[in-house]
Amino acid sequence: MSRAFAIAANTFRETIRDRILLVILVFALAMIVASLWLASISLGQEARLMQDFGLVAVSGFGVIVAVFVSAGLVRKEIDKRTVFIIFSKPVGRGEFIAGKFLGLSATMAIVVFGMTVFLFLLVWAVAGEPSGRLLVAGGFIYLQVLVVMAVTIFFSTFAAPVLAAVLGLCVFAAGQLSHNVLSLTQLGENAVLEGLSWVVFLVVPNFSAVSLTPVVVGEQVADWSTISGWGGYLVAYAVIMLGLSWLVFRRKEF
Amino acid sequence: MEREPAAAVSIEGLRKTVTVGFRRRRVEILKGVDLTVGEGETVGLLGPNGAGKTTTLKIALGLMRPSAGTARLGVAGLHEVGYLPENAYFYDYLSGRELLGLCARLLGLSRGARDERIAEALKEVGLQDAAGTQLRKYSKGMLQRIGIAQALINDPRLILLDEPMTGLDPIGRVEVKRIIQRLREEGRTVLFNSHILADVGELCSHVAIMRSGEVVWRGPVEDAVPSGGGSLEDFFVQVVTEGAVEPENAESGSPGVTR
Amino acid sequence: MRARDDSRKGGRGPSRAAGRRGALLRGVVVGLVMLGCVAGVVAFQVTRPARSAADPAVFVPSPKFFRDLSPSFRTAVADAYWLAMVQYYGEHVKGDGQFDALPAYVRLVTDLSPRFERAYMFGSFALLDAGEGQEAYELLVRGARRNPDSWRIMVTLGMLIYTYADSPDKDKLAAEWYEKAAAVPGSPDYIPRVAAELLTKGGEEAKSALMWGQVYATGDTYARDKALVELDELLPRDPQQRKEALQPLAALMTPQQFLTLSSILMGVLETP
Repeated sequence: MSRAFAIAANTFRETIRDRILLVILVFALAMIVASLWLASISLGQEARLMQDFGLVAVSGFGVIVAVFVSAGLVRKEIDKRTVFIIFSKPVGRGEFIAGKFLGLSATMAIVVFGMTVFLFLLVWAVAGEPSGRLLVAGGFIYLQVLVVMAVTIFFSTFAAPVLAAVLGLCVFAAGQLSHNVLSLTQLGENAVLEGLSWVVFLVVPNFSAVSLTPVVVGEQVADWSTISGWGGYLVAYAVIMLGLSWLVFRRKEF
Repeated sequence: MEREPAAAVSIEGLRKTVTVGFRRRRVEILKGVDLTVGEGETVGLLGPNGAGKTTTLKIALGLMRPSAGTARLGVAGLHEVGYLPENAYFYDYLSGRELLGLCARLLGLSRGARDERIAEALKEVGLQDAAGTQLRKYSKGMLQRIGIAQALINDPRLILLDEPMTGLDPIGRVEVKRIIQRLREEGRTVLFNSHILADVGELCSHVAIMRSGEVVWRGPVEDAVPSGGGSLEDFFVQVVTEGAVEPENAESGSPGVTR
Repeated sequence: MRARDDSRKGGRGPSRAAGRRGALLRGVVVGLVMLGCVAGVVAFQVTRPARSAADPAVFVPSPKFFRDLSPSFRTAVADAYWLAMVQYYGEHVKGDGQFDALPAYVRLVTDLSPRFERAYMFGSFALLDAGEGQEAYELLVRGARRNPDSWRIMVTLGMLIYTYADSPDKDKLAAEWYEKAAAVPGSPDYIPRVAAELLTKGGEEAKSALMWGQVYATGDTYARDKALVELDELLPRDPQQRKEALQPLAALMTPQQFLTLSSILMGVLETP
């Protein structure tokens, strides 16, 4: 496991030094401008709108960064020939995947929580202390980002970076519409279509069912056991994708 | 890969077929490579471009899987092997010291041993002053030298170098030659590819020549460069273009191979 | 002595000068092209007509259009249309007074975000201004059903019934909603008083003033403006009587709010 951590530390260092964290600055600037604008036109609802739009922005920025950082994971190592440096040493393919994922997760933790904390402080400054659920919502967005990363890493083990990125984004979008797929499974008109719909429903991550944004703005109520269940689902899904990534990657030649 | 103490590298009947192109056309890169590298030998692996030298090394290291045949390393594991890939670039944002630190950790070196070995490796390749600089600012020659440093970080028994002289200025080449010479004197086993035949002739105890996925000649350097005249270059061209020649000194027991 | 061959040496004198002139000319041409492009882009943008939210042909999609959105984004869409609705109302209330798209906006925002309390309250007043009293009533009934913990929606509904309903039982109906509001934990103390007042006979203006006072205390900018207008019409013109009529409203709001309200309503009497 220490080799996986060595790879994780290296990956973290590489991505941080690649100025990924500038995205937090871009987010911060965008939110400041938005908050000034919202305060004048939202009719006293700036707290709600800032939290709602802010969490959408955290999710959007987070997913896009995660996808593009993960998509080139394998190809970059091959192009740079660093894959020869790594695998000419006693490093397992699984350790490599795990290490890469852990390193990227650490980077994305800084990105997502950096944006969330900034949003929390900005809402506090503009509209009074927000609920702590805002920070928990940020945590959930982080878990969703991890799932998207794991999916994109899986695609990156056999597809070119651009394709892996596009597929990762598609899975994220499909995950937001997962409940529509569920309704297809209940059509009752065509057994084949129903069966196929069930497969798609099970395979695509159900992001629409595990979001805390509606809870933050008061549309939904969720207790801690529900939230824990959602978190467990996302973690399990990411683990499955990493396992599949390992299965593909172990057969790869360089 | 299996372990056998008899030879440092033992390759028998190695074949490798790949599919290329849209129509997945099968191309046989290695057509039955037989190569043995004894302990303590310094072997130059020569061949024209596309002969299969790099593929042979990669299969020996487990980076690729053979289609048939075997490749065995006579060491306990990859932690006793050092490898320098051809035309390597490295992680842009790591410094030289950080790269060596990463390699040392991957090899399982303890913290104390890591620091010591990193300092020694940097000194060996003359990069102490640039150790803190990010690799993206290294020149080609510096990258090659840090690559050699990472290949030696674990004080390996078996060292595989793919074109170690690439990108080096004359001073750099002298330093690398000095390193290989030292490794040879210490009894390490070195297998390296190079197109600079003069260096091969100078540094190696043995030479293996590949052509079109096969080893067509293997033997001591003296057999390839007769004392009476001729050069390794001439010999190489003759073997590669016309087919192998029988070694002049048959008593050396060197297995000259005719194809 | 061999003559110097300047051309071989890469040009001193005329060749170098010609090279410099060529570089200068190229730089000028590139600069002019860039300037022209910048001017073109700016001119194009500046001459775009601003899309007015007061455009009567505004298209507001049906809530069904967004039904399939993930809950994460449904509320964000609702918020975006909330902003659009507020802008739309603001421009039309100052402009032509036409609110054709308003019912669609209100329905969209409240259907996508059923617990958006403020949307019901603002929407109901806006619909009243648009002459859509029945729509406003139904909106608040939906809001009360979806938000059983919102005393504000119930109080607003009670006020709306009392003020605008054309029914002999409106006092009783309004009082029922005030009583429901009073039963919500955390509701203000004055609500039961208002409910009780509604059930007493007579004193219509006083009851209305009480309810508009509550609207002033808890409403947004638009609601407060409307409350001021209504209170000004309801309260006596005599300064002393007006002052006395204002007193019961003090219990509904903070001292600062009451001070502001009194200043405005008393100040109106002084304005010719």
